[in-house]
Amino acid sequence: MTEIFSTLFGLNDAQPSTGPAGLGFAAGKPPPPMPSNQAPVAAQIPGQLGDEGPTLRKPGAMNEPFYLLRELPVGSDLTGNTNLITYYNLEHAFNKFCGKKVKEKLSNFLPELPGMIDCPGIQDGSSLRSLIEKPPVCGNSFSPLTGALLTGFRLHTGPLPEQYRLMHIQPPKKKSKHKNRHPRPQDPLPPETPSDSDPKKKKKKRDDDPDRKKKKKDKKKKKVSDSQGKLDLEDRLYHF
Amino acid sequence: MAEKFDNLEEHLEKFVENIRQLGIIVSDFQPSSQTGLSQKLNFMITGLQDIEKCRQQLHDINVPLEVFEYIDQGRNPQLYTKECLESALAKNEQVKGKIDTLTKFKSLLISELGKIFPEEMTKYKAIHGDDPPS
Repeated sequence: MTEIFSTLFGLNDAQPSTGPAGLGFAAGKPPPPMPSNQAPVAAQIPGQLGDEGPTLRKPGAMNEPFYLLRELPVGSDLTGNTNLITYYNLEHAFNKFCGKKVKEKLSNFLPELPGMIDCPGIQDGSSLRSLIEKPPVCGNSFSPLTGALLTGFRLHTGPLPEQYRLMHIQPPKKKSKHKNRHPRPQDPLPPETPSDSDPKKKKKKRDDDPDRKKKKKDKKKKKVSDSQGKLDLEDRLYHF
Repeated sequence: MAEKFDNLEEHLEKFVENIRQLGIIVSDFQPSSQTGLSQKLNFMITGLQDIEKCRQQLHDINVPLEVFEYIDQGRNPQLYTKECLESALAKNEQVKGKIDTLTKFKSLLISELGKIFPEEMTKYKAIHGDDPPS
């Protein structure tokens, strides 16, 4: 086996060949001699392959019996063998994001933001991608509105039509278990509208109770009877 | 670094609150609300000016585009960070496995080649030196 190895790589040592049968190979042609143009080709190779990777060592006696022997690549300190999370001090971040359950919705990340933010931005044209693909006209400075410009913002009195009432649409808020929550600074109360007035809602809630209905009926009966009694008295007084 | 973000966050919160109040005024407009409306509109413009001033401090901050996709879908952007960390750890483990396997293969190959080609392997070790197990 070593003799074949040596002849293939151009050694001129005269060694007795045991023959292919002795080495376990079937009878066949002897290995071809080294072509004469092999050495100059080998000399050209380092120039060609030097761009692809570690440079080849110069062929010759120093690298015998090895024909193509590359330099080992320079080892780097940082490889996949090290725990990169620990190396870059990301353990805290890893435990924070991967240790606990991160909620799915955007409203959990921005709870104070008003409106329906969990809906996809493509539906109402408020996506960030559209902002990147079609950026708005920039370059002009922001200047406050003068009196003449503010005339364009004179509005009609009265409530907005239903189709434009986006501000009142809020996602359903979950009941918080923690009772001691920091109260949000009180918002200016919106002006009452026929559909949103609170006392009417309270009245509706009160009306729904069956006990209150019974009490009201009793009160009405009493009032009717009292009023009838008063009328009788008045009639009597007038007749005198 | 955190101060720059706090400053921007504060301006954005004020801006959003101003817009929200503007929406409340507009939802049921009264003639007496006109001055308030004009004031809110000018607050909006000053808010945009303040946000633009913050821009200069944050010109070196880069945000991955994938985060925008999460926001556009109404998903929490922290999920992107979580998935990045998980995939980084998985890839780290995968590469470590490959390194360990190839190291074992190298040591096995050298030992077996040393048994079959002892002379050649001694020459190889003389050229390359005794490579320490990586």
